[in-house]
Amino acid sequence: MKDRTVLHIEDNEYNRKIVRQLLSRTSFRLLEAVDGEEGLAVAQRELPDLILMDVQLPRLSGLDATRLLRADPRTAKIPLVVVTSFALSGDDRRAMDAGASAYLAKPYSPRDLMALINRFLPEN
Amino acid sequence: MRRASSADRIAPPMMALLASPVGALVRAVARIRTSVHIKLLAGFLLITLLFIAMTAVSLLMVAETARQTNLLDQAHERVGWSRQIEHALAMQMHFTSMALLAQADGSVGFILRENNRFNDTLARLETAAPPEERALIQAIRGAQEDAMATVADIANALRDRRLADAMTALRTRQEPTYQKIEGLVGSLVAAEETRMTRLRTSISAARARSLRLMAGFAVASVVVALSGGFVISWSFILPVREAHGFLSDVAEGRFGGTIVVPNRDEFGALAERMNWMSRELHRLDDEQRVAAETLRGLNERLALASRAKSEFLANMSHELRTPLNAILGFTEIMLDELYGEVPPSLREPLVDIQTNGRHLLGLINDVLDLSKIEAGRLELGAGEYSVQEIVDVVHASLKSLAFEKGLAFGTRVPAEIPPAWGDGRRLTQCLLNLAGNALKFTRQGRVEIDVRLDDGWLTYRVIDTGIGIPKEEVENIFAEFRQVDTTITKEYGGTGLGLSITKRLVEMHGGRIGVESELGKGSTFFFTVPLHADGGVA
Repeated sequence: MKDRTVLHIEDNEYNRKIVRQLLSRTSFRLLEAVDGEEGLAVAQRELPDLILMDVQLPRLSGLDATRLLRADPRTAKIPLVVVTSFALSGDDRRAMDAGASAYLAKPYSPRDLMALINRFLPEN
Repeated sequence: MRRASSADRIAPPMMALLASPVGALVRAVARIRTSVHIKLLAGFLLITLLFIAMTAVSLLMVAETARQTNLLDQAHERVGWSRQIEHALAMQMHFTSMALLAQADGSVGFILRENNRFNDTLARLETAAPPEERALIQAIRGAQEDAMATVADIANALRDRRLADAMTALRTRQEPTYQKIEGLVGSLVAAEETRMTRLRTSISAARARSLRLMAGFAVASVVVALSGGFVISWSFILPVREAHGFLSDVAEGRFGGTIVVPNRDEFGALAERMNWMSRELHRLDDEQRVAAETLRGLNERLALASRAKSEFLANMSHELRTPLNAILGFTEIMLDELYGEVPPSLREPLVDIQTNGRHLLGLINDVLDLSKIEAGRLELGAGEYSVQEIVDVVHASLKSLAFEKGLAFGTRVPAEIPPAWGDGRRLTQCLLNLAGNALKFTRQGRVEIDVRLDDGWLTYRVIDTGIGIPKEEVENIFAEFRQVDTTITKEYGGTGLGLSITKRLVEMHGGRIGVESELGKGSTFFFTVPLHADGGVA
């Protein structure tokens, strides 16, 4: 089951690197995008099994990208985790309103992130 | 602009009266440049003078009537005397005739007595008679002297027995003289009677005149009193009514109006003062409006600045969290040996990085929370929560720290506490702050969390055996950036924001926070919130 794909949309190289490191020991295939527009294009092209979406992204915000993905019937059902920064209260609610399946507050513990990924994509 | 209240309305007949020349008189009286006191005094004085004049005139009348009555009495007396003269004359004639009949002069004594009486009476009459009657009286006296001369002749003739001569004298001289005297006395009486008639007419005329005069005075007094009262009172009432309307305007917030009154008395001065007050109020109102406008503008700018600050902090927070996420994330996956086995010599510095990274995260969260509270942008996510769960979470988070410091760390939550309503996440933060502080400032002994429900209020208590707080610092302990002294910050760490944030959060729940402490023995921090707290905004 090497086919299961996770798309990580995040503009910070180091944070992408952590996820890359986390998933390197698993069977998941990792796709990366560095801004909202690219993330949207990759998601619509590749149709991944799980999307990790940062809230604050250049060009297209994470929440707007989430709404567009939810509006597209091909990507509407893909589990999507929004990574919020809890800068202002209500970020979590806005994430859920935009159509997120779950949210994770930054800074997150890599262990918690793995647990969340495993919840949506259980390993055999 | 002016709204007529019930007191402002003037009855229509009064309006008509005020529009007439009477109204002009009212305004003229108002315009007189003198005090109300003098005006009232003048009014009363005018009426009093009228009454005095009336009294004087009536006294004069009474005096005049008395004088005329007196004259009448005198005339009456004089008529009486004239009658006596006539009588004396008749008696003289009678005695003269008697002397002739008796052919004796014995009667002469009687005649002389009557003559004396005649002369006495005539003398009295002369003294009392008015000048125009003097001539008549002189004539009577002259005739009487003639008559007495004749009487003497007759008496001589009788003594000499010259009867014929006596008879002749009587017939030719005495009788005509007597007739003349009779005629003169008759004229005198007639004159006096004419006089009396005239006096009577004059008295009754005077009486009628005085009656008319008195009636005239009475009517004039009443009219003057009424119109004077009307004019003076309305010259006071009009400015008072004006002032009434004006003050209603002021009371309803319409400043800057003025009142116009013709008065140049105290009411005029009052109106002047009111106009001054009105101008001042108007000016102050304008100033206040300008100030309010300025403040509004300032407030808007401040709100904008505050929003900008909040947005900046939100962005900053994100910017700070992103690298912090990398630091904490890499440290964790290194410690989890995702990069391979960690040599024992590296494990401790890695844990140090992790501890300090978490501490930095706590500081960032505190600063952000406080800025959100200050910007009024922190909202409580009210919902049902379990008190036991909150205490458990706090206990679980801090038990390793307590263990490391060798402190006893216990909790006490009564089992019968029902589910509560409020922002459980924020209340957890509050209790975590208090318990974290207690552990931080306690070197030995114990820290205990104790919860009680009393009459719908939940009291969370954190009891420690720590260093305590000096009395003079207790008041400041909940202020921002306050720690008992700055050396504590160095020794124990922390931003000094935790208690301040906790206080705000508790207050947002409608509760209050407090502390009881004894220096060197320990502190008890507590906060009380309603079992069912509605969400609020800081």
